[in-house]
Amino acid sequence: MNWKRSPKTLRDQSRTALQDSQLQHNLQHTLSRTLHSRQLAVAEVQNWEELRHYARTVKLHTLSHLARYLEQLEAAVQQRGGQVIWAESARQATDFILDLAHRRDFRSVVKGKSMLGEEIGLNAALERWLEVVETDLGEYIVQLAGQQPSHLVAPALHLSRGQIGELFERKLDVSVGEDVERITAAARQVLRRKFLSAHLGITGVNFGVAETGTLVVVENEGNIRLSLSAPRVHVAIMGIEKVIPRLADLPVFLKLLIRSATGQRMTSYVNLVQGGRGPGERDGPSEFFLVLVDNGRSRILADAHLRETLACIRCGACQNICPVFQSIGGHAYGSTYQGPIGSILTPQLVGLQGAPEHPFASSLCGACRDICPVGIRIPDLLLELRHRIQREKGARAARLPVERWAFQIWSWLMSSRQRYELFSRWSRRLARWTAGDRLGRLSRVIPPLSRWNRERRLPELAPKSFRELHRASGEGGS
Amino acid sequence: MSRTQILQRLRSLAGTWEEPEIALPEAPTGTDRVAQLAARWEAAGGIFLDAERHGLENVLAETLERTGAREIFWEHPDIFSRFQIPHRLRDPLAFENRLVFSLHPQREVRFPLVLHAKRWTRAHASAVPLSACLATHGVAETGTLLHEVRSGQGRLLSILPEAHLFFLSRGDLVDNAQQLFSTWTPCGSLATLVTGPSRTADIEKTLVVGVHGPRQCLVILTE
Repeated sequence: MNWKRSPKTLRDQSRTALQDSQLQHNLQHTLSRTLHSRQLAVAEVQNWEELRHYARTVKLHTLSHLARYLEQLEAAVQQRGGQVIWAESARQATDFILDLAHRRDFRSVVKGKSMLGEEIGLNAALERWLEVVETDLGEYIVQLAGQQPSHLVAPALHLSRGQIGELFERKLDVSVGEDVERITAAARQVLRRKFLSAHLGITGVNFGVAETGTLVVVENEGNIRLSLSAPRVHVAIMGIEKVIPRLADLPVFLKLLIRSATGQRMTSYVNLVQGGRGPGERDGPSEFFLVLVDNGRSRILADAHLRETLACIRCGACQNICPVFQSIGGHAYGSTYQGPIGSILTPQLVGLQGAPEHPFASSLCGACRDICPVGIRIPDLLLELRHRIQREKGARAARLPVERWAFQIWSWLMSSRQRYELFSRWSRRLARWTAGDRLGRLSRVIPPLSRWNRERRLPELAPKSFRELHRASGEGGS
Repeated sequence: MSRTQILQRLRSLAGTWEEPEIALPEAPTGTDRVAQLAARWEAAGGIFLDAERHGLENVLAETLERTGAREIFWEHPDIFSRFQIPHRLRDPLAFENRLVFSLHPQREVRFPLVLHAKRWTRAHASAVPLSACLATHGVAETGTLLHEVRSGQGRLLSILPEAHLFFLSRGDLVDNAQQLFSTWTPCGSLATLVTGPSRTADIEKTLVVGVHGPRQCLVILTE
């Protein structure tokens, strides 16, 4: 597993992110624009909810018969001359590609953006022997900066045009200033040469159609089209959960994915790959390999409570809408997958102890579930994971007497109306005190309440409860 | 080895086989296909030219004007006959597939136009100002064209040049992608749904056209 846990905790990194005013500006600017485009694109589709329901149903069906669909996909790919490789672990997948490059004496690789590639640490594994160039503009920027992507769809979301211009001037020795057009033109020039000279092209896969063996790769820039056209060999890497049954299902998934991810009606290019160069064709790779990667997915699938995590189509909408992600960005999570989907996927991929804070990095507001194009119940899964983490912490947490007493007192108060009303009257008074200037300030400094109050303000409570108001209005009894 | 193990694990998890009882949702139909394709193709940054309305010579001329190109490289020679271009051209073979023709002198177009159907190299393709090929289908709902690599064609000529031109027959228009995929079966090694020119918004969500692929993408609609 490539996932390198940062020595800093998610909490620490969040604090740093919150103080980074440049990052805050970049996040606010980009995420609000993406959400706005998405909203317009989704409003145009009258049966959006029906599409979501359909996609969810098909995904869950496919996940419960994955063996059957994967075998069908494999047979269809092989029939067209492609080779299919199964990798249980990240290591097996990267070893296969390295070995292939060695056997063919390849020196250079161009890569299309692939989250699976990030997950299995493909670049790190290949870079020891080969020149590896990311060709998606965002990924290329992140690679030049020596960073990791900070978003599923927009890897360089955390950087401003000024920061990127500076990076290009430093690394590529070009004069681009803060001009996005000039930055892009510089990347085009450098990468064009890489495409034409690369030996191996590696891409991800958005959907693998079992029925026809079609591998669908969605993009806007044309870098994926070039990566799978110019080099001698094309290797597509695909998580085993990415299979869909029929070509007829594809339009539904494309509509949901593209409108959710970028707010477009359709991306510039949707590549439907059937393999390498066919008979009589002028160019294209002479060999095609599909690497099917498990890397923990069949384990996730075995868990009935959590398996719908694998229905994700990686649109990034949950990241865009999440108030936590909007505040801290992707890097604070310290994992390949970030935001709400990352918070449920990461602990399952690396183990609860590898990402103990992830399920707690959420306010459980539910926006992620509402926006998810395949309706993954992210808040429910977060709660389930929290529950398991607490259970794993085990007896120690349960034995904390303060917690036990608190709940005993709470249940004593709640089990009698008089006690409850008395308590609520006194707590309203107390809340008014502490919200006041002097006590309010003190409560932000003096532990234990300070840890909570430092970053939060209690809402002002009404002086009278609904019940009291109702009684006072004299409109009937209780 | 891995294959067996993965499949075994997955099989042990599979429930009893049930087809999902759910109907494919409907997609919008019944619009003016040509108007919608034109509007949505242009909304995606493409250029739409109607040869039926304005004449093939005129839209070809406009293509050259707008791209600044004086040469067009064709992916496949059958386009000549299919779109009845050759009546003004000399015999392709007479000039080793290098075709020269002139239009009527009164038109305000600077010709001759040079059409290449000869084999191009990879390095050559990068220097091609304008390439052309056939779109086998057009999808009105999203303003999308289907480009299929066929025998005698390749992948690079449609992606490397500065500008790319598609020819599309009116009869190959469909309302939506669902209609397309209910009948289409893949034949070549690569098919691509193309919607406008290459683009990116990776920097501050600011749109830039022409990242790795063509900066201009045109479609000529014919009968």
